Amino acid sequence: MSALLQRRPPKTPQNTAAPKPAKRVGKSPAPGKQRRENLAAYGFLTPWFLGLAFITAGPLLASLYFSFTDYSLIGDHNWVGLENYERMLTDERLFNALKVTFVYVFVSVPLQLALALALAMILDRGVRGLPLYRSVYYLPSLLGGSVAIAILWRQVFGANGLINQVLAFFGIQGEGWVSHPDYALGTLIVLNVWTFGAPMVIFLAGLRQIPAMYYEAAAVDGASPLRRFWSITVPMLTPIIFFNLVLQFINAFQTFTQAFIVSGGTGGPSDSTLFYTLYLYQRGFGAFDMGYASAMAWLLLMIIGGFTAVNFFASKYWVFYGD
Amino acid sequence: MRAHPGNGHPQARRRNPLLSVAAGVGAIVMAATACGGSESEDGVVELRFAWWGADDRHSTTQEVIELFEAENPDIKIVPDYTDWAGYWDRLATSTAANDAPDIMTQEERYLREYGDRGALLDLHEVSDQLDLSKIDPLVAESGELDGQAFGVATGVNAYAILADPQAFEEAGVEMPDDSTWTWDDYVEISAQITEATDGELVGTQSMSYNESGFQIFARQRGENLYNEDGSLGFSKETLEEWFSITEELLENGGQPSAAESVEIEAGGPDQSVLSTGQGAMAHFWTNQLGGISESADSDIELLRYPGETSNERTGMYFKPAMFYSISAGTEHPEEAARFVDFLLNSNEAAELVLADRGLPANVDVREHILGSLPEADARSAEFLSEIEDTIVDGNPPPPIGAGEVVNITKRVSEEMAFGELTPAEAAEQFMSEVNEATGGS
Repeated sequence: MSALLQRRPPKTPQNTAAPKPAKRVGKSPAPGKQRRENLAAYGFLTPWFLGLAFITAGPLLASLYFSFTDYSLIGDHNWVGLENYERMLTDERLFNALKVTFVYVFVSVPLQLALALALAMILDRGVRGLPLYRSVYYLPSLLGGSVAIAILWRQVFGANGLINQVLAFFGIQGEGWVSHPDYALGTLIVLNVWTFGAPMVIFLAGLRQIPAMYYEAAAVDGASPLRRFWSITVPMLTPIIFFNLVLQFINAFQTFTQAFIVSGGTGGPSDSTLFYTLYLYQRGFGAFDMGYASAMAWLLLMIIGGFTAVNFFASKYWVFYGD
Repeated sequence: MRAHPGNGHPQARRRNPLLSVAAGVGAIVMAATACGGSESEDGVVELRFAWWGADDRHSTTQEVIELFEAENPDIKIVPDYTDWAGYWDRLATSTAANDAPDIMTQEERYLREYGDRGALLDLHEVSDQLDLSKIDPLVAESGELDGQAFGVATGVNAYAILADPQAFEEAGVEMPDDSTWTWDDYVEISAQITEATDGELVGTQSMSYNESGFQIFARQRGENLYNEDGSLGFSKETLEEWFSITEELLENGGQPSAAESVEIEAGGPDQSVLSTGQGAMAHFWTNQLGGISESADSDIELLRYPGETSNERTGMYFKPAMFYSISAGTEHPEEAARFVDFLLNSNEAAELVLADRGLPANVDVREHILGSLPEADARSAEFLSEIEDTIVDGNPPPPIGAGEVVNITKRVSEEMAFGELTPAEAAEQFMSEVNEATGGS
């Protein structure tokens, strides 16, 4: 990525042409050598393959199997068929968990991406000390999912936290934001929006790939800045927006740490921050209901897979690849 | 791995590809063997002992282990400790992986979960090594389920009201006489304190977050939280009445607001209204008196629950603070039993642990350390002996799923406090959720 972030080269038509894949120079290697090289590659990939098989695929398949049993973590388990999946249909807390997660995903991700794009555009105008700003804004993305930040969040939004102290300065008596069911989820959405740094850096890289001559031509024709944004920046950036959208959607669906720490593992107050993954954890490790938790994990996989598929399908109609 | 500039023939540096395969496989083998278990040395049996707690408990338990190893050179105890929240996740997963610790501390609400599924050793099988004859009769059978002893109580606890005399003085309200006070007195006194101090102090911390308090309330009415068979042992009216007290206190200001309560509860004992000097009363276990007195920097007093003398019967009870259990999968049950015997019946061990795992369950050992307890622990010991004669009986062991009731209680209380449920609806929801969690009907 660092290559993309380097200073924009002088703009001439020559070097703004769409990059072509580099042609392979010279003759292709002899078949024997090719095979030896492949073997070497597989050799170095062995640890990863074994990891995939035993650490990822194995447990994945095991959880699929367990989702059809009454596995309790301890002791024996029996095959129960679709019972776990049937139980989901009448589980009110599961519906609540889905609702909480959907609200979180569909509110926080668009906000986060909008903020990321806005800041990327400001930084792209050539701010002095850009590397510093970039790092500073990127920092929350590295820390956002950590336990320490979640604890900090609980303090900042607590009854006597920073937010309320600032509000008190203006004579406003604030709530205990993380302790009130109407606001607790909001504080977590703010936390996710705050980690806009990662998409911002990607947007920044994308903005630098847009040839400046488009803007120059538009300006000559008298297009307003807003018009240039909608007609040049957005269409040229759609592949990047799409990439960020898919990535952040998947991330947001899997949010766990923040909700776990901020609510003390309960998903409270009164289940207002009961994220899907948190409820899954409670069923599996709190209630020894690992069969049901496994089924929940597969439902989540299907939901995320479904949304990503819809995203990819819809992308045909709005993502512009410029070729 | 980048080719050195000037090195015109990178191919010349290529190594045998088979070597890299070997290197890759080798790395896996190394990683796999690195986490293999250590076998016991010749003649010395190695046992793992798991417990939860804070730093203080970790260091004293290490000392106890050293003491035991000095007396029993044929046994080596490997400590395995964590905090409360992480403990149950770890125990569940290690038990699932057939790698449970040989000896562990257990808790009432989880004991049956493990015992019924065959994960714990019946201590009757090791009665030659483990002497249970001196255990306080009030908790002696608390680890028994269907004739099998899955755990032995470490010590004794009671759930009570902690009151700060300084706060009462500040408010100009007299400390209640806990041998006669009623639930109405409790509500009234709490409101008086808040009113007299203009909200500087609250009367009492919310009591609806812990089902242990309700258990006392139900017992005062001849009911209980659970029956012997694990089904719900109380009527809906009783629970509704219990929740109504909290509602009344929320209305008259006797307890902190719903949002404040959420925050206070999340902070644990260190954030209780007593510890932070923001209130006069709170509900806790007697072995928490020491810690809370220290944070509050005040001589907190223990009070009997309201309504102990004005109802059908008394409701307070002794609870086994925790249990020592032995894994059913241990290869050395006899040696494990010798260690539990030491923890339970040795004066030297008790001199180190003191009342940290409850007032020792072994009555002789309890007598032995009584004089050397720190002040707050001495007060709770005195309190326990005062109420001992008024206690009618113990509680049946909680059913499977009781561990989940902790969270149900919290959630239902919150929904009621925020006005989403009336006390009647809260009672209904609590009962149906607990029924589902514990498999009753």
